[in-house]
Amino acid sequence: MPSAAEIAWLIPVLPLLGAVASGLGLISFNQATNRLRKQVAIALLTCLGASAVLSYAVLAEQLSGVPPVEHLFVWASAGSFVLPMGYVIDPLGAVMLSLVTTIALLVMIYSHGYMSHDKGYVRFFTYLALFSSSMLGLIVSPNLLEIYVFWELVGMCSYLLVGFWYERDGAAHAAQKAFVVNRVGDFGLLLGILGLFWATKSFDFQGIADGLAQAISTGSVPYWAALTLCLLVFMGPMAKSAQFPLHVWLPDAMEGPTPISALIHAATMVAAGVFLVARLEPLYSQFPMVGLVIAIVGTITCFLGASIALTQMDLKKGLAYSTVSQLGYMMLAMGCGAPIAGMFHLVTHAFFKAMLFLGSGSVIHAMEEVVGHEPILAQDMRLMGGLRKKMPITSTTFFIGCIAISGIPPLAGFWSKDEILGQAFNTFPVLWLIGFLTAGMTAFYMFRLYFLTFEGNFRGEDENLQKELLRLAAKEEEQEEAHHSGVIHESQWSMTLPLAVLAVPSALIGLLGIPWHSSFANLLNPEEAIEMANSFSWGEFLPLASASVAISVMGISLAVFAYYLRRIDLGEVIAARFPSINTFLSNKWYLDDINDKIFVQGSRKLAREVLEVDAKVVDGVVNLTGLLTLGSGEGLKYFETGRAQFYALIIFGGVIALVALFGVLGT
Amino acid sequence: MTEQVSTNFPWLSLSILFPIVGAFLVPFIPDEGEGKQVRWFALGIALVTFLITIGAYLKGFDPSQEGLQLSERLNWLPALGLTWAVGADGLSMPLILLTSFITALAVLAAWPVSFKPKLFYFLILAMDGGQIAVFAVQDMLLFFLAWELELLPVYLLLAIWGGKKRQYAATKFIIYTAGSSLFILLAALAMGFFGGGAPNFEFTHLAEQNFGTGFQLFCYAGLLIAFGVKLPIVPLHTWLPDAHGEATAPVHMLLAGILLKMGGYALLRFNAQLLPEAHAQFAPLLIVLGVVNIIYAALTSFAQRNLKRKIAYSSISHMGFVLIGIGSFSALGTSGAMLQMISHGLIGASLFFLVGATYDRTHTLQLDEMGGVGQKMRIMFALWTVCALASLALPGMSGFVSELMVFVGFVTDEAFTLPFRIVMAGLAAIGVILTPIYLLSMLREIFFGKENNQLVSNANLVDAEPREVYIISALLVPIIGIGLYPRLMTDSYRASIEALVSRDVDAMHTLIQPVAPVISNFNLSPALISAPSI
Repeated sequence: MPSAAEIAWLIPVLPLLGAVASGLGLISFNQATNRLRKQVAIALLTCLGASAVLSYAVLAEQLSGVPPVEHLFVWASAGSFVLPMGYVIDPLGAVMLSLVTTIALLVMIYSHGYMSHDKGYVRFFTYLALFSSSMLGLIVSPNLLEIYVFWELVGMCSYLLVGFWYERDGAAHAAQKAFVVNRVGDFGLLLGILGLFWATKSFDFQGIADGLAQAISTGSVPYWAALTLCLLVFMGPMAKSAQFPLHVWLPDAMEGPTPISALIHAATMVAAGVFLVARLEPLYSQFPMVGLVIAIVGTITCFLGASIALTQMDLKKGLAYSTVSQLGYMMLAMGCGAPIAGMFHLVTHAFFKAMLFLGSGSVIHAMEEVVGHEPILAQDMRLMGGLRKKMPITSTTFFIGCIAISGIPPLAGFWSKDEILGQAFNTFPVLWLIGFLTAGMTAFYMFRLYFLTFEGNFRGEDENLQKELLRLAAKEEEQEEAHHSGVIHESQWSMTLPLAVLAVPSALIGLLGIPWHSSFANLLNPEEAIEMANSFSWGEFLPLASASVAISVMGISLAVFAYYLRRIDLGEVIAARFPSINTFLSNKWYLDDINDKIFVQGSRKLAREVLEVDAKVVDGVVNLTGLLTLGSGEGLKYFETGRAQFYALIIFGGVIALVALFGVLGT
Repeated sequence: MTEQVSTNFPWLSLSILFPIVGAFLVPFIPDEGEGKQVRWFALGIALVTFLITIGAYLKGFDPSQEGLQLSERLNWLPALGLTWAVGADGLSMPLILLTSFITALAVLAAWPVSFKPKLFYFLILAMDGGQIAVFAVQDMLLFFLAWELELLPVYLLLAIWGGKKRQYAATKFIIYTAGSSLFILLAALAMGFFGGGAPNFEFTHLAEQNFGTGFQLFCYAGLLIAFGVKLPIVPLHTWLPDAHGEATAPVHMLLAGILLKMGGYALLRFNAQLLPEAHAQFAPLLIVLGVVNIIYAALTSFAQRNLKRKIAYSSISHMGFVLIGIGSFSALGTSGAMLQMISHGLIGASLFFLVGATYDRTHTLQLDEMGGVGQKMRIMFALWTVCALASLALPGMSGFVSELMVFVGFVTDEAFTLPFRIVMAGLAAIGVILTPIYLLSMLREIFFGKENNQLVSNANLVDAEPREVYIISALLVPIIGIGLYPRLMTDSYRASIEALVSRDVDAMHTLIQPVAPVISNFNLSPALISAPSI
């Protein structure tokens, strides 16, 4: 029997086959395929399930210490240039494979419930399988170029899924924004890849790192150029992992169905940027400057995301900004030269954030029974409240997620976030301080979300408030769905089961990465794990850990007082006193407006001007010359009578005559 | 007077003459006037032609050889030095296949044409043979004749079946192309008569000639203008949006799928292959023009509100990569240029077909008058999305591979100075951002959002019919096939391109004086400041 790593290429291929089959079915036999929705869903689940099983086998092999496997074939070649493609299985990849297949599988099961009334059910499952396939392909890519290929493909899937409900204007704009902003990052990534290939003649991660070190030492590539290339490559992860200032697409991407927000825009695809930086660790570790830039970008993102999350009223947007903030933590870890810590946070975050998003989906699903399918209403926390009693599983799992992300021991988030903060404290103390404060903000906004949604009284039936919210969003009321007499109830098993399953790792997985005995580090890099365990000292760990726990508890307490006990009215205490801060935050640091003014309007204006030039100047010159050569308008009229082929004949005849003449003279 | 040199089966002559003979039979096909019978006949001829070219490729063509194959030679008019010399190497063979493939699909796309169907199919089939001839002939004079003959069917197809401004567009097209092809004639005569003696226009003969650098530069400049109109190169492009804007869908497919490729092919065949020293001088200019094409046309496409013109400008933008590839002096980049031509032939044809199919339903091309039609036309929406993604060079499809090859080839080649490469690659990469902006905005404006009530009430928005799905699928098979495994295509011309590029590189190395005085005031472009460094 072949080892699992030998047939690991099946992991991305299986869901791809499923997606292609059902995609072709949708195009060719649309109605039949839609009628067989259950069978299609089961088939796709089976494909993905098989991938998941294979991934676990691969992970088990890697845990038992089997060396990494790499298989390549020549994909393109010309001249002396040869471009190999293939797949590689190593510990980092094995971890990611298991993570992605697990969450994708759970999200698929969840979608069966969440999308059950949607007429695009089969299409949704097809996209899900396509995305899983691309994401898994990205993970097993052995070189930068293949990563780029799958990088674009996951971006495409994200585009398709954000724009899934394409009849909504918001979704249409969000999908395009997501793709274009990501392309801005890819612009840098592509140039960086090209430049690195020029400098090192390699696309391979280790090859690039070694080649660049050598090129710098021989002087064939100046240091600043190498630095620029590294930063250009980093633009890709900046866009994909929603780092400031390219994070703007992620909150908008919440227009997609909620399972997608959980899978793509929280757990897996957005983590691809962090994953790429981890893959490039041999390269980046040579350049402390690059590390510093990454760390600063990560810290800014981390703070920015958390600060905006403080004022969000939309449940999903709140979680989205929280994701932005957590991705910032991961980047901070990468910049501190601690890829293991970053990857660990990626794993823990994937579990609890997927659970939180799926939980929010469960809430929205229930809210839609009351307020209708208008996302402005169904996702607004001002209309929620008191859902805990009606939705016990959702609220319990959401609560677990909140504790996990806030960093309360022994849940997952504590171990991974504390590891990052500890690394930052040793490397960049200033950045640690910001990250530390952000931890408090995180605890506060998460519990704010929890209390507003699940505690207090239910406010969803307040029609005046609904109208007010629609007015604020500048949306016209749709009379067609005026009355919704539904009641809030817990979601069906296919939605609660994934929540319950995800709650387990959210609570416990942190224990794999306890700093004095980290099995996670041991898998990724055994040498470093030993070093970590040796250099571990309680004297260093305890003060930092208790400080983080303390600030989290402070954040939670504030939220309890403000939103549960209602002892403090934050609107009065802070928002009214410092209106500028409040507007600054609720306008999302004005970044969307700046973007719109400069880039969107600017590019439109530029394009219109170029078109003007094209029509008036370039074409004008042509038409003018046309007139001049023809001698008069009379000639032009002649051509417009439809007999201009005569002209061609004249030329043609003239040519023949000339040829004949030369022919005679020549011989 | 006539003597057959080649003893092999005349695959290429057959593939040129068969559709032309078929075209002349069209008037004799009994038809009730709506084209219901004659279209089957035309489709049959086009399919058989496609099979003949496939036969030529499989039976008579060995991709591992760099030289001319399937040669046939027949002295036609010895007094003029005119020879019926056809043959195929790696440069021509893929394009011959592309031509017969796209033409067969265009005939299928022309199914609903009911106005003067006989004349229509006559012209399409005549064009098929003429276009194969352009790629297959091995004699420059013959090439010129084929090139000119090509204009008449296109002109008529535009002028009779076009849109409202068809006369203007057709006239503009003919003036542009016919006018510029005078340069081809002049260059051909100059090259054929070079060195005295009997005129000889055969490529093999011309390739052995030792043209002086100054002579090469003049010929090169002339040919660049002629082929630049066809490709097109900004600012010689303004015929294209008009012609494309007025053409019907099948003609449109031919224009974008094949006609533009004639320019790229001729640049490779003549400028790069026959005039290597001038090519070394002009290469930086080609790169700059390529970058201008990419950015300028992408911006104009973004601002266009007319769907057809938008896609037409996107074609111009994509042709920029062909220019960069040809000017790149690397086997990889030139290979990429070749692949970009094939790839755009397929993708451009599919997009233009979809434009036509959409117009049939909406009866408008103005984006402002569309919106939300995705709900009524789901399959159409899916086809559009796939083709638009292919056009914006999504990996897994052919456009990505070709653009990547051009990029890598250009950046890694030492022919140009580093700053020049950095600036040009950086600017060209802006296209990577601009392309999705205009293509995705276009999709959004047609299909996304709320239904445009006025449109929905006026137009009959039926979803794609099987014939349309079939045409797009047929185009997508090679698009995705090449995207997944590019060697399917690149291996068929690899040897020829490598031979061509190594000749160019040799010429570049033997250049003693980098910039000839004749040309120095011709090129005001800053590109020549960083002329090939040796």
